Amino acid sequence: MKKSIVILSLFFYSFVTAQGCSDAGICTIGTAFQSNEKEHKNSIELATVYGVGEADVTYISPYISYTRKFNEKIALSAKVTFSSANGSFGTRASFGDAYLIGNYTFKEKKNTQWSVITGWKFPFTASNLKINDFSLPLDYQASLGTFDLFLGANLKYKKWDFNSALQIPVFNNNKNSYFVEYSATTDFPSTNLFERKSDALFRTTYTFKTSKEKLTFKPNILFIYHLGEDSYENIFGQRQTIENSDGLTINGNLVTNYQIDKQSSLELSLATPFVVREIRPDGLTRGFVASIHYRIAF
Amino acid sequence: MKTTFLILSLLIVLTSCEIEGDLTKDELRSTTIPNSSELKFQGVFSPTSGITVAGGPKIYQSGNQYQLKLDGFSISDGPDLKVYLSKSDSPTEFVNLGNLVPTAVYTIPQQVDLNEYKYVLIHCQQYNHLFAIALLNEI
Repeated sequence: MKKSIVILSLFFYSFVTAQGCSDAGICTIGTAFQSNEKEHKNSIELATVYGVGEADVTYISPYISYTRKFNEKIALSAKVTFSSANGSFGTRASFGDAYLIGNYTFKEKKNTQWSVITGWKFPFTASNLKINDFSLPLDYQASLGTFDLFLGANLKYKKWDFNSALQIPVFNNNKNSYFVEYSATTDFPSTNLFERKSDALFRTTYTFKTSKEKLTFKPNILFIYHLGEDSYENIFGQRQTIENSDGLTINGNLVTNYQIDKQSSLELSLATPFVVREIRPDGLTRGFVASIHYRIAF
Repeated sequence: MKTTFLILSLLIVLTSCEIEGDLTKDELRSTTIPNSSELKFQGVFSPTSGITVAGGPKIYQSGNQYQLKLDGFSISDGPDLKVYLSKSDSPTEFVNLGNLVPTAVYTIPQQVDLNEYKYVLIHCQQYNHLFAIALLNEI
């Protein structure tokens, strides 16, 4: 009974305060490898993410991912994202990024298990999608246009998971051309030829299951530190640093997983940030994110 | 049949990828120069290698405000073309006036001294390729 109250309280809290993740990809890195599925080597995940951003922008971002376990230690995951942003600028939709992530899991010792991940994000666009020849802010772009390297480690201790990761933009192909000077709104900052800095992530997750293990709850708290100030090229062709675009974002996230049968599961995730950076020119401004995921193993 | 319908629906959703909104309507773009404006500068575009261009820029003054309009203008297709006011015939020191829309009127920022910015360039920003150059002559 006590546990049920805790679960309901957490769920209600998450729903009321809304949640979300300023996700350039780092928030969901590694989740494909956290399945307890032992019998099957392959799995496919279909998901749709609904997000509410700054000004009046809303997002629907479906993705598909495929994960292959080669053995007890090594697994690979590939993911393709699509995003449709809707707001006062209109609707702009496109494929976003492709991810290829590898995972190595070490042998479990005394309830403790380490794993490491590494991978790449490849953008499908140069972050310069337009409507009617009007340039759009990054909030409307399906990708940030950067080729990013991911490096991460996960420590599993009993029911706790501790993740840390770095997302490093190695090659910048952002060709965005949005200027606030030439826009009919001041809601979004200029991001012409935007250059983005790296992110560092730390997440703590506690997992608990109902007695028949049909339902799993994973409340987690996610710290993302943006490791520098981003920059853009102004109308005079000079690079400008965007002050206070660095700093900390803290997100709360509740994941509820329902095991349909041995092979498939359904998952609901709700997230919202509690602390955000002063300026988020990269458009990663979700104030609330709700996503639904279907996984099947074979 | 059901599967085909679902696949078709999905394709329609995926390809409906650009719908204009309140901030991206054509009407928001100024296309006329006020009658009271005075023509101050004009030029004729020359193409760079492999490009076809016609027409030229005209700069009008209305009070303290300068505006640029392209006259009789057409150019080869190119991605992400911009209109630059430039101090030279290459895009090194310039003012980016925004996306190339042949019918648009471009308002020149107040701090720009047109005695220094003598050229109008058509430049592809995404691939850093210069398309056309016009030297401005004072009227």
